[in-house]
Amino acid sequence: MTPPTTTAGGARPEVSYRAKDETGGLERVYVWDAVVRLTHWIIMLAILIQAVTGIYIGRPFFIPAGAEDQQFVMGTMKVVHSYTAIVFTLAVLVRVGWMFVGSYYARWHQFVPASARRRRDVWSMLKFYTFLSREPPLNVGHNPLAGLTYLLVFALYFTMIVTGLALYSVGAGVSYMKMWDFLLPILGGAQTARWIHHIAMWLLLGFFAHHIWSAILVSRSEGHGLIDSMFSGYKFLPRSWRKRDE
Amino acid sequence: MDGPTSDLCRELEARGVSRREFLGFCSAMAVMIGLPKSAAAAIADALENKPKPTLVWLEFQDCAGNTESFLRSSKPSAAEVVLDLLSIDYHETIMAAAGHRAEEALESVVKNKQGQYIAVVEGSIPTGANGAYCTIGGKSALQIANEVCSNAAAVIAVGTCATFGGLPAASPNPTGALGVADAVPGIKTQINLSACPVNAENLTATVVYFLTYGRWPATDALNRPLFAYGKSIHDNCERRAHYDSGQYVEQWGDEAHRQGHCLYKMGCKGPVSFQNCPNVGWNDNTSWPIACGHGCIGCAEPDFWDKMTPFYAHLPGFPGFGKASNIDKVGFWGTVGVAAAFGTHTLIHLGKKLVGSGGEDKPADPTKGSEGGDA
Ligand code: HEM
Ligand code: HEM
Ligand code: SF4
Ligand code: SF4
Repeated sequence: MTPPTTTAGGARPEVSYRAKDETGGLERVYVWDAVVRLTHWIIMLAILIQAVTGIYIGRPFFIPAGAEDQQFVMGTMKVVHSYTAIVFTLAVLVRVGWMFVGSYYARWHQFVPASARRRRDVWSMLKFYTFLSREPPLNVGHNPLAGLTYLLVFALYFTMIVTGLALYSVGAGVSYMKMWDFLLPILGGAQTARWIHHIAMWLLLGFFAHHIWSAILVSRSEGHGLIDSMFSGYKFLPRSWRKRDE
Repeated sequence: MDGPTSDLCRELEARGVSRREFLGFCSAMAVMIGLPKSAAAAIADALENKPKPTLVWLEFQDCAGNTESFLRSSKPSAAEVVLDLLSIDYHETIMAAAGHRAEEALESVVKNKQGQYIAVVEGSIPTGANGAYCTIGGKSALQIANEVCSNAAAVIAVGTCATFGGLPAASPNPTGALGVADAVPGIKTQINLSACPVNAENLTATVVYFLTYGRWPATDALNRPLFAYGKSIHDNCERRAHYDSGQYVEQWGDEAHRQGHCLYKMGCKGPVSFQNCPNVGWNDNTSWPIACGHGCIGCAEPDFWDKMTPFYAHLPGFPGFGKASNIDKVGFWGTVGVAAAFGTHTLIHLGKKLVGSGGEDKPADPTKGSEGGDA
């Protein structure tokens, strides 16, 4: 890879490295394939619905008046929660499977920092976040720190799914979903499963808050259209970066 | 203690229990175990004609609550007669013999009926301080349990203490208390009848099942019979309609409480507890906790004293914030905190970019240190 032939700093300092890299011009690079984008947004919507219904299930704040056979508030919340759980679980499974068969930037090596360079970039990114450096490391796909964080997020997804299935099995009756009740003793009983499920939700929501902000931050400071890329699949990257990740 | 005559009919008559009542008991047992009513005939036949096994009842770290539960009967019932037919050779609370004579009775069962008797265990087994926390006749509970339980045909642990350690094992568990299965590994047949105390109905039904079929009922992963522990309290609860419709008690004695609405918000653990209380009730089905207006505290679940507390809150607290903390509050403010931290962070970044663009603080060449990438 030939480093870009540019002069450092100076001319347009406020967008310094964008300026010097851009002398070769920007190009549209397709990074997120359709499956990555679709699952991302489906999972996000599912989580929001799960969180709203889940918070109600944990703390039913609205109490309807009238005869009980005229109402079905908790019941409805649980039905919505359960159907959304199916969508959520399938989307997560598809995304995880896609890590092994999908396009280059969808694969597992975008998450696990297996190469020396990606491990180095985890540190560069940490430095950027802690104001020790101005420049986020260059990456076409996920920056390695973000990738690492997403591993944790996927772990949270699985925590939700496993504890959710265990909770579902409690009331599953003779349905085949009863098979998940083997999870209950492993999780330390239904009450503890519920507790884990509840705490993991707040960790996910905490991630959500962080994620939106860092998406905005990185989008602004890199100027490569990061947020747009989750919709369109394309990032705008300096020409010289093209083969950087490969 | 000699068992009464095996002539069940005579015994029933002597106690004023009609045959009709006895057959009613048999069909109630059949239904409870989850068999069709027609199985009642088989049960009646077995109770009348099969030889009754010897039973010893051990008490360790306990409050005798399970014994109480077992003995209490408002009227001489068929159940009582059937249980009396078991030859209970050792039971500290009810046996006539005392002291060494009593211990001899136990030893003779272990020696002479090895592999043939049933051991019922009540109370947890302390393992701390070499077992010194509970000794009977100079032997530690652990020693006795080892001798008696490993030579029994089957062990029935009654009550949550004997099954899972229960109250004595609650954190910080000063005596190192364990349930029977943990204290005496390798028991061949172990039936756990947890609850605080055990419901006499479930003990009776388990024994009747064994007498009828010569084997033990199917159990869950915690060795609890499925007929009694197969469903959650919540799934059979009479207040369930209020739960589904979203009508909850919010304060003791409020209008909803007087109307008998669901106790979920008062910390009811019915959705995470398994037992048949709503169906068989307590004290001859006089009532049961939720019918009395108090939530379930999950007394039949392992470690309920640690895991189900606070009893009047939906969940334990957020880790690191104390048991009584409110998860939703901590989580909400945590999330707001993250958003605020990143918001400020972003502002600082963008601000620094605008302000600090002078030149002496030259940004690093982004391509440095990224060459020779081997990804
Ligand atoms: C990101 C996704 C999810 C979020 C944010 C979420 C959130 C929640 C919350 C807050 C509760 C209330 C817990 C309580 O305090 O009692 C709950 C309950 C429940 N969740 Fe989820 N959940 C998610 C995914 C799932 C999944 C994938 C399943 C799978 C089957 C599931 C099944 C359940 C069930 C069965 C309950 C009912 C608990 C009860 O009846 O008490 N959830 N969820
Ligand atoms: C519950 C909400 C969300 C969750 C759990 C979530 C989770 C994730 C995960 C796991 C990834 C890795 C994607 C993959 O390769 O599959 C990702 C990437 C991304 N998400 Fe989200 N997301 C959420 C909401 C959002 C929102 C609201 C935005 C827009 C503001 C957004 C923007 C992005 C962007 C731009 C990327 C790619 C960024 C990168 O390479 O680091 N996400 N998100
Ligand atoms: S009172 Fe308890 S067990 Fe009954 S429906 Fe309400 S939450 Fe469930
Ligand atoms: S209602 Fe719950 S706490 Fe009460 S006896 Fe039944 S299982 Fe135990």
